[in-house]
Amino acid sequence: MKVLALIAVLLTTAMLGYATLDMPGWGDPSSPASTHVSPVYIQEAYKKTATPNIVTAVLADYRSYDTLGETVVIFTAGVVCMMLLRKVK
Amino acid sequence: MEAMDYIISKYNYWMYIILMMIGFYAMIAKKNLVKKIVGMNIFQTAIILFFISTASKKGGASIPIIQNGHGSATDIINTAHYVNPLPHVLMLTAIVVMVSTFGVAIALLLMLYKKYNTLEEDEIISILKTENGK
Repeated sequence: MKVLALIAVLLTTAMLGYATLDMPGWGDPSSPASTHVSPVYIQEAYKKTATPNIVTAVLADYRSYDTLGETVVIFTAGVVCMMLLRKVK
Repeated sequence: MEAMDYIISKYNYWMYIILMMIGFYAMIAKKNLVKKIVGMNIFQTAIILFFISTASKKGGASIPIIQNGHGSATDIINTAHYVNPLPHVLMLTAIVVMVSTFGVAIALLLMLYKKYNTLEEDEIISILKTENGK
């Protein structure tokens, strides 16, 4: 059983390592992640939301519905914990 | 020298792969349920580190907070001066999900321990089998 797990882990390591050959180098300013959408956010966020912190602007302004869903997730987790851990009389 | 540059530009991904595979192995090979949950947390931490590392920019990029934001912010904002904010935002969401799953999993483990008095997976399965047998 442990041998099977080790084989699965080594196979996944080999596949992920092969995939890193196509990844952009560390800190590359012209990587795809920092050239398509993020310049727009960096340049427009302060003008549109009047928030200097871009992370806050994206989290609470552009993606406010996403954050609402996030609070639903953590509320559900809290309710589930309470239901599991309450004392049954 | 070129090989050295290549290794330096890629070794962060390899570190995250090693960390992620440690968590993956703990999830599938360990018999103790607490160790499985710790493995899941290591796995998620590796993913978070990977996303944060894609946000970095070489050449003096600073945190994504506009400088002099409340003063003279009419200057033209240079994109190269701030790191990519989007992975940071997405990982805030991922951290919330991680904490939620961890809390629910620990609560479930408490209930399992109350019922079976053990947290070893094979012992719980053998108890279940003897219960079904009679």
